Amino acid sequence: MQLARKLAAKLVTGLVMIWVVATATFFLVLEMPGNPALAQEAADMQHGMSPAQAASATAVMFGFVPKQPLPDQYRHYLWQLLHFNLGVSIAEEGVPVSHIVASAAPWTVILASFGIIFSFLIGVTLGILTAIRRTTRLADGLTLLGAFINGVPVFVIAIMLVFVFATILAIFPQGGTVSVLETPGWNAGYLGSLVVHAVLPVACYTLAGLGAWQLTSKSSVITVLGDDFILAAELRGLRPLTLARYVARNAMLPLFTILAISFGLMFSGAVFIEEVFNYPGLGELLIASITTKDFPVLDGAFLLIIVAVILANILADLAYPLIDPRIRRS
Amino acid sequence: MTRLARQPGPDPAGSAAAVEAAPDSVLAPDRGALGDGDAAVRVRDLTVSFPTADGPLPAVAGVSLDLARSHITGLVGESGSGKSTLALTLLNAVPPPGHVDGGSVTIEGVGDVLALHGADLRKMRGAEIGYVFQASQNSLNPLKPVGKQLLDLGRSHGERDQRVLLRRARALFDEMGMDAARVLASYQHELSGGMRQRVGIAFALLLNAHVVILDEPTTALDMLTQALVLEIIRKVHATRHLTTLVISHDVGVIGDLADRMAVMYAGRIVEEGPTVQVLAGPRHPYTRGLLTAMPRIAGDVSEARPLPGRPPDLASIPRQGCVFRPRCPLATRACAEAEPPVTVTGEHRFACFVAAQEVS
Repeated sequence: MQLARKLAAKLVTGLVMIWVVATATFFLVLEMPGNPALAQEAADMQHGMSPAQAASATAVMFGFVPKQPLPDQYRHYLWQLLHFNLGVSIAEEGVPVSHIVASAAPWTVILASFGIIFSFLIGVTLGILTAIRRTTRLADGLTLLGAFINGVPVFVIAIMLVFVFATILAIFPQGGTVSVLETPGWNAGYLGSLVVHAVLPVACYTLAGLGAWQLTSKSSVITVLGDDFILAAELRGLRPLTLARYVARNAMLPLFTILAISFGLMFSGAVFIEEVFNYPGLGELLIASITTKDFPVLDGAFLLIIVAVILANILADLAYPLIDPRIRRS
Repeated sequence: MTRLARQPGPDPAGSAAAVEAAPDSVLAPDRGALGDGDAAVRVRDLTVSFPTADGPLPAVAGVSLDLARSHITGLVGESGSGKSTLALTLLNAVPPPGHVDGGSVTIEGVGDVLALHGADLRKMRGAEIGYVFQASQNSLNPLKPVGKQLLDLGRSHGERDQRVLLRRARALFDEMGMDAARVLASYQHELSGGMRQRVGIAFALLLNAHVVILDEPTTALDMLTQALVLEIIRKVHATRHLTTLVISHDVGVIGDLADRMAVMYAGRIVEEGPTVQVLAGPRHPYTRGLLTAMPRIAGDVSEARPLPGRPPDLASIPRQGCVFRPRCPLATRACAEAEPPVTVTGEHRFACFVAAQEVS
């Protein structure tokens, strides 16, 4: 009952946020210089169409009337949005935006999910190790390494990976998602090729997130290790395993929120990686639609990113009381 | 039951004291004041130091102290005097980077605590000695209910039978006047200060420890809760024949509870003896200062005179002579030259040149 009301409140706030951001992106994107629909219309008129013909031709082609007053366009956009209609692409004439976005999203989801999971697991393991051995040289070295990796821009990591593993060693493909020689389907050759192509982008995603996880989890573990209740548990002679579980669960709390948000941000996080590895996910789609001024696709991709972030936040908010009893009843 | 079966551990320092058996005398070697068989915990010449910018400095310096079996011993001192370091050393738990430079801690039924390590040390903690934290400190895992943590404690010490553990826990909570079912299901943040303190005591007693250390048990509690907690400490102490060490900066609490008391200053025990004797006839000028600094309920607040100066920290403790000298109204030239030896009169010991002359 209480949960339902809480969920409803969060969903309403979420919807309002989606509306605000969708509105902002709609106007921002329209204000970008260069409008391909207008250019098309002008071209049509040059080819001998009357202004009315040209206008209706573009309207058919792009799904909206470019010279309508802005408020009308905006109302039209919102009305279509309410019906889950994102419009049609400009660059790929007439293809619904939802199809384009839906075909790009899985690649990003694969890339980002594995990237987030690996960077979380490896980073947190290193962080715990650094925290426990914090007085040793090893920990100093690991901290330095973590800070360094954290500071290297992701596209540099991507280019280095391509250079070393695809160019010099030539053990992984330079880019793409799968070899064209394989027959699509559930066969070993195709799936193997998918995996091989995903190795470098996933490794890149992992490396890019690793340092942050390591540094955050290190400080979180050190904070918990300094808590009174850990000393108390030691003085009560708790088993090392029990003690480790106490530390782990308490140190996980701050990391949990960050993890949830990074899953929400996954759709926007892979722009550089997808660009370098020529991976046809949402990141590449964003870049492509910016260059081609493909407003509807841009709006659609942004909308997906927003919805994902807001959903992740709502889920994190709802899940948090499950892992921290202190905020359960207050 | 277990107490009867417990054999006294090897105790070289204690037997040496028995051989020398110094009569009441000035300049007696610094032995504990108790006879050979009366102490459940013996601390001898214990020095614990911490590395600082000026090199290692002792937080506990050559302390000898006996905890009388089945009695309450009080340890009084200002913050920074080394009380908590001393108490933690009794469990061989000197907080890093500090370390024990010398001396021994012998506990009845355990032996030399400082020689223990690994699993032996872990099993001794909790099972033989219980340590109770200050109520304002969070001594429980905030994410687990009290009951589950009690089970964790039991399991860590090889008690696998949940029913036995829960029955024992319920009995403890009942004894301390708490709603056992509610407390077992509660998280730490759902307990009040007084309840936390009692839960802390229950954790210390769950495994039938025979020595219990309470670090500032009433600090940060309101007066009524304070009285309640003191009453409970007295009660569990008596019913279980515990050997109890109560640490406090509050002479009133110690005077209320303790059979014997020790006064700690700058890492040294400067005075020790039966509480009545120490409070009625304090010998060391520091103890006297502490007592005159206390406002009396029936007197004028302005009669309370604070000690001049400030308690020293590790770096400002005088390296030579008496450590209390800079704040001492009685200091003489002798005090600057050497540390005063321990003077013993009856069961009362103190370390002061001037007071020693008064006695002799």
